[in-house]
Amino acid sequence: MKDLFNKENFLFPGFDKKQRLQSLIVFGLLAILFIFSAFTFVNMLFAFTDAAGSIVSGSIDVALKGLYRSVPLFLSFFMTFWSLLLVHAFFRNVSEKKRMRSLKKNSIAVIAFAGICILFVLIGLITGEYSSIVEGSPSPLFPLDAVLYSIVFLALGLLVLIRGRKFLEKHPYVVPSRGPIVTRARFVYCFFVAIWSLFAVYSFATFFFGLFIIDFIHGYLAFSIALLLVYLLNACFLMAWEFYYNEVKAEKKKDVLLPLAIVGLVISVAIAIFYFVALGLNLDGPSNVGFGVLPIAFAASANIATILTIATPIIVSVTALIKGAVMRKRK
Amino acid sequence: MKHKSHFALLFMLPVALASCGQVKGYADHLQDYAVDMDYRDGFTILQLSDIHWSYNTSTPASKRYLEKVIAETDKHVKATGGQIDLVELTGDQFMLANAYHVESFLNFFEEQATKYGFKYAAIWGNHDRHGLYNPNWIADKFRQAAHCFYIEEDDDLYGRSNFVINLKQGNDVKWQIANLDSGASFSETALSPFRDYDYIRKDQTQWWLAEHNLVGDKVPAIAYYHIPQQDNEILWKAVQNGAPNKNKFFKLEGFADNGTERGVSDFIPTAKQHNLKAAFMGHAHNIDWTVEDDDGLVLGLGVKTGPELYYAHILTDDPDPAVKKGLESTGINENFDLIGASLVTFRHQDEDNDGFEDGAFDLEHLYLNERASGDFVKWVNW
Repeated sequence: MKDLFNKENFLFPGFDKKQRLQSLIVFGLLAILFIFSAFTFVNMLFAFTDAAGSIVSGSIDVALKGLYRSVPLFLSFFMTFWSLLLVHAFFRNVSEKKRMRSLKKNSIAVIAFAGICILFVLIGLITGEYSSIVEGSPSPLFPLDAVLYSIVFLALGLLVLIRGRKFLEKHPYVVPSRGPIVTRARFVYCFFVAIWSLFAVYSFATFFFGLFIIDFIHGYLAFSIALLLVYLLNACFLMAWEFYYNEVKAEKKKDVLLPLAIVGLVISVAIAIFYFVALGLNLDGPSNVGFGVLPIAFAASANIATILTIATPIIVSVTALIKGAVMRKRK
Repeated sequence: MKHKSHFALLFMLPVALASCGQVKGYADHLQDYAVDMDYRDGFTILQLSDIHWSYNTSTPASKRYLEKVIAETDKHVKATGGQIDLVELTGDQFMLANAYHVESFLNFFEEQATKYGFKYAAIWGNHDRHGLYNPNWIADKFRQAAHCFYIEEDDDLYGRSNFVINLKQGNDVKWQIANLDSGASFSETALSPFRDYDYIRKDQTQWWLAEHNLVGDKVPAIAYYHIPQQDNEILWKAVQNGAPNKNKFFKLEGFADNGTERGVSDFIPTAKQHNLKAAFMGHAHNIDWTVEDDDGLVLGLGVKTGPELYYAHILTDDPDPAVKKGLESTGINENFDLIGASLVTFRHQDEDNDGFEDGAFDLEHLYLNERASGDFVKWVNW
């Protein structure tokens, strides 16, 4: 267990001043973009759930109309999430060439999403889809706020595309790479990590909004706390993986993974038990304490979103436990 | 041993948290649940249901539609010397909405209430709990709105928007309007993968009986809530099996009620023994079917208001027998969408001259569709 806190196991303490500064900048940008991704994801999730509700109720025309109006909400999430990927490329690329290619690819995607969003709103204004640039709903300044948001990302994307290469030639990124991602079953690995990341983004936003929108009175205190803990845990798991485990030196991972998995499993099982006991005491809790945090679950009259959210850290922990045990055995 | 005690704490903590706090009893302050309103012959209640403002809603477009419904109703009731007295918002005003939607919605209704001189009452639907706001915040907003009737007491009564409006002439209560929160949904067990729709609980029935008792059993009452209870389905089946009950309008989907044995509500069977004359609800958008039971109680779903989330397109050449039956009952012979509003008008009638109203009323359904070639507007009498 002491391996979890052994400074010698981590990359960061061995960095020089320049490496530390660069590493902190990347971490800072990732944290900011993660938060913005979380908020824009909630907007997108709400718009999507509304449209899905229309589709399952047989009103595809209403769904399409709603989705069309909310295109800027979807594009705002995509441009933010792609920016997150752009910054994340600094961690994973072994060669400078690969990093440059990744920067170019992702910045073009960000520019495309931002440009399409601005164009879409302009066309919407011309065709009358939006009665004015500040028509309102879901915010007082919609769709102007989406246009301004896109302009910022368009400018950042262009900056990276045009000046990124020259800047990095002048100020090379000298932080050691975390190494390439797995080569075997790469697609499957990337797919599950992407799904998990989305769950973490959703969980973080849910936890944050939950602090404000969950009703802690009316006799649902236990359930409200349990709900918040479930979402906090899921967000923390991704952060532990990203900011802790991935910062462990490659040769030390086998020492850290098993204890980390055991700690994760104990906490996630404990919170799952707490949640189900609290739910058992308040079976109407989810719909009465602020169901805004569970849009899909409520729309489908199912508890599936929460069950998946509870299951995710347990699955991740068990997977890590197996992997950690195999690594130790090989040792 | 130490580990065992930690494990036990996991079970104890939720129990301890769930049981903290002293809750007062509703029976101790029944008078706090009632508001008064002036009554007159021809008192009107406009029911707007399932407006569903959400993230995808164009609020300017929705306001334009609602304005048309209110203006059309105002014109309609003024033709007989009346006015819109009360608007009943019977739930699902919002779904996947945020604070901006709630504030815009209330500002809009405040403007309309000032313009047309009505009051409005707000009832929770299942989807109103489904937004990026704290349920207590939205309750406060309704409470603070100048023209809005909304009462929510912090006590042991199930639900939020349970309150009555007593319609008074001088000191006499002529009618009582019961507003009930039919909840949202709940799990059968902590491990259930799905959720069942909620229902009006026994304590809500007892609460209403107590409120009604305060004004006297002879006062006729009308109830508004969101989720239909099992009674609609029972009557629908009876009519399908040939029962001669008067019925009218459209039923193009299931009632989406609880549908389980556990979720059987005693509200309608009990309340109709105590002078409940009618109950109107929302929830299922493709239904405005209304029926009179063997005891003369009128039970029906209001017309869905506005084109959000989902609604039925009624086509005259639709082979579906349910559509044909609805068209036949309404006498409409052109295509239209099943959206609009419902209007109740209380009629003075006291056949036994005991000083109490007999509980007579008229019911009309308004179908209003916006069209580039000129709006479709049709009033259909019950």
